[in-house]
Amino acid sequence: MEIPASTVSTCLPLAHRLRRAALVALLLGLWAPAKIVWEQRIAHEQDVLRYGGAPMTLHLRDQLGQGLTIGVLSGMRSVVADFVWLSVTTSWMTEDWWQMGAEINLCTALQPRAPVFWDMGGWHLAWNASIAAMEDHTQPNPLRRLKASRFWIDRGRDIYLRGIENNPTNWQLWRDTALLYDQRLKDFRTAAYYYQKASEQPNAPIYLERFSAIMYNKVHANDDLSAYVAWKALWERLTPEERQMKQHEGDRIEKEIRGLEQKLSIPKEKRVFPN
Amino acid sequence: MISALYRILTIGRNTLTEAVRQKVLNVLLIFSIVLVGCSVLVSQLATPGLDSAGLFDAQIKFVKDFGCGAIGLFGFFIALLSTAQLIPQELHNRTIYTILAKPVRRSEFLLGKFLGVVLLLALCVALMSLAFAATLYWQELQGLQATKAAYTADPHWQSNPVVVNLYNHDVASIHQQTRDPQIIEAILLIFAKLIMTSAIALLISTFATSSIFTIVTTFMIYLIGHMEGTARAFWLANGAHVSLWQSGLVGFVSLLIPDMNSFTIVDEILAGNKVPWSHAFNLLGYADVYLIVLLAVSIVIFDYREI
Repeated sequence: MEIPASTVSTCLPLAHRLRRAALVALLLGLWAPAKIVWEQRIAHEQDVLRYGGAPMTLHLRDQLGQGLTIGVLSGMRSVVADFVWLSVTTSWMTEDWWQMGAEINLCTALQPRAPVFWDMGGWHLAWNASIAAMEDHTQPNPLRRLKASRFWIDRGRDIYLRGIENNPTNWQLWRDTALLYDQRLKDFRTAAYYYQKASEQPNAPIYLERFSAIMYNKVHANDDLSAYVAWKALWERLTPEERQMKQHEGDRIEKEIRGLEQKLSIPKEKRVFPN
Repeated sequence: MISALYRILTIGRNTLTEAVRQKVLNVLLIFSIVLVGCSVLVSQLATPGLDSAGLFDAQIKFVKDFGCGAIGLFGFFIALLSTAQLIPQELHNRTIYTILAKPVRRSEFLLGKFLGVVLLLALCVALMSLAFAATLYWQELQGLQATKAAYTADPHWQSNPVVVNLYNHDVASIHQQTRDPQIIEAILLIFAKLIMTSAIALLISTFATSSIFTIVTTFMIYLIGHMEGTARAFWLANGAHVSLWQSGLVGFVSLLIPDMNSFTIVDEILAGNKVPWSHAFNLLGYADVYLIVLLAVSIVIFDYREI
């Protein structure tokens, strides 16, 4: 009778060792190709779904330092990004804008699919840094202050645009960009475009629908025709039930359209409200 | 078959009981729960003084990241320490001889031990997840209170439908982030990764002569596993164009080391991005098959091991 392997407790003969090695090699040899194929499929799926941050390069490693690099390599990328964000907050409070800009770039490189970094990063640069530059009275020349302020606005806009590139369905980033064009750059026509895009994204709040048209009302050249087209499009997009709902402000939309039809002398047969 | 399962279950239960009695693991568990709770404090540092501005997205993200990070990190330590000493401790205490002298196969012994570790990890992850859920709930309450306070500053706010709509949207946004069912998906993936780590440690401990060797080697494999994707991509793209030793090294890593980095998809879930369940199941399936292979190799090695 053969002695079962489980009860063997004496020194193993060479044949047993070889048999063990052969079995292990066979198991791993069968698994390895399947493993590669499976992993490639998973990686492809993750690429399609646009997951993952910037690859770990020497440049990124130098920016992070040794400790945080090990954190990233241990699968703690989000925690490391959060730690870097704490430095952003510190830089913001000490008004070290250049440092803050570099740290925001680092955070967004680590987690490009975390909209909150783009959202707050853009706000820090386009609002906090630019306003601080405008109010920097150590610079006596107001034009230089204006130039510095504009520089930070552009950096903030860059953050928002890159954020949209990475998170195209995030309504907040579209809204943030619209807000920047509206409030900081006074470019209402571009703001209208971004508000329109924001309102088209999933989970966007209803009020954004009207903002695009409101922006055309604010255009300096009195672009009433564009405003009329925008208000009309919004009215036609709403169902009769939605027009009655308070949050859609149907009465306001109607008032705007009536006013513009009058102002633009739209022929009665082409008016939304002929009466 | 049934009796074998019964023996595996018995060994598993005993392993769990022994592990629960270990002070080191209990201390680790307590620390992890404290750390999960402390994530709220860290989140306050992210947006100091900005509560009233409704900037809760960053705070909730921090709580989720640090909570799940703590579950992953301490779970890793618990998996590593509890598995690394399974076989060496049995050998040191000589209890393995008593067990194997009974009608218990080595494979049953090994699977029973592994089952015990899995149960321990399930218990620890469940406890840490409870602490995490409580922390998240607390963060949600803070967010809702501050949001309401910000809106009720204007006594006539409820008469303005636009403001009411904004308030409802803000509340829904906080709920969406804190009650995201995808968090369950994230915890499942963390658990799968921990079990894989544990299986690697078990495999190494079947031929290692000390716990330290098992711990260090598993830790290295865990780290290398996070770079396996890079090695694989390099090997598949450049394997034929580089020197033999380079190709051999990255090929070895690609063929044998599990891809741990795929599980960092958890970060995407916590950032609020939709990760389809089909993808999560794909990863869980990969982990399961890897687990079976690791256990099979462990059994083969342990079956022939001289004790």
